[in-house]
Amino acid sequence: MQFSAYRAEFWQGVRDLLPLVSGVLPFGLIAGANGVALGMSPETIMGMTVLFFAGSAQLAAYQLIQENAPFVIILVTAVVVNLRFAIYSATFAPLLAPMKRIKRWPLAYMLSDQVYGLCSVPAQQQRSDGERLWYLIGVATSMWLSWVLSVVAGIALGASIPSEWSLEFTIPLAFLAMLVSTITRPILLFVAVVSGLSAVLFQMLPYNSGFIVAVAAGVSAGLLLPRLLGRPVKPQEGR
Amino acid sequence: MDTVTLWLLFFAVGLGTFLVRVSFIELHGATRELLDRSKDILMLLPPAILAALCIPAILFTRPATEYQLDIAQVMAALVCILIAKFSRSVFWPVVGGMICLWLLRWLQ
Repeated sequence: MQFSAYRAEFWQGVRDLLPLVSGVLPFGLIAGANGVALGMSPETIMGMTVLFFAGSAQLAAYQLIQENAPFVIILVTAVVVNLRFAIYSATFAPLLAPMKRIKRWPLAYMLSDQVYGLCSVPAQQQRSDGERLWYLIGVATSMWLSWVLSVVAGIALGASIPSEWSLEFTIPLAFLAMLVSTITRPILLFVAVVSGLSAVLFQMLPYNSGFIVAVAAGVSAGLLLPRLLGRPVKPQEGR
Repeated sequence: MDTVTLWLLFFAVGLGTFLVRVSFIELHGATRELLDRSKDILMLLPPAILAALCIPAILFTRPATEYQLDIAQVMAALVCILIAKFSRSVFWPVVGGMICLWLLRWLQ
């Protein structure tokens, strides 16, 4: 029975996601609570959460909304933060591209770090397309649900947190913790240092455009340095 | 920002993010070369983005027009880095950093 086999794959995906919820929940709590701290209504926060379905971009947007940055800058910043999804899109293109739009687009919308982490491992790649697909659907839908519910919990929690607790400082701290786990090679540390210093240097630029300039400086420096040293950047699998 | 503008912004970001997510899936078949060319940039983006987002917000007190160094925030960030070295989750580094921040603010 093919159908029951696919159903088993779906639930396997759900089960494999469950341990990751311990990482999703606090992040969702931070996202929900900071929205409340910014004075946004629960409906607005949930609308944002569902439309973005991207935690880092949501926190980045909060930070800029708080600083009264202009519309275009917030838009560009949030989308640049989400550019990593292009890698996930490419990774799953062979699996998702042949599907009908009505299934393909919702699945594309649900691509996330967790889906990439669980569904792109070699053990999954060796299986049949049907099995992979249903496993991905299991991971993606349960991830979506746990993210949305975590933000709801964060909104409930945020209402009771006094402003003296400087809750908004959890945003840069969360980015910093992610930054530390991102830096796995010296070149990436170099990029982070150049970008961080540029961000400090350019923060006086009008309209909060310093962020974009700093990211461009960091990435350019990372592309140029290996060339100056005469060593090309080693191609790396995955991200 | 008023509520209508916020919603417009969220729809715009949602659309932009969806276009990124759907990009290579829709272009399937004609993208190997494009991906290979942009791979270096995509690999360098995460550290660049994360550093540019957090470093200024950690070093200086906000909101302010003149940027003043905030020692308590810097100490909290150091605690956060230290814990992040050992814990793979985002949760404990943030909790450790916040506790450090509260302690220093309370002592001041």
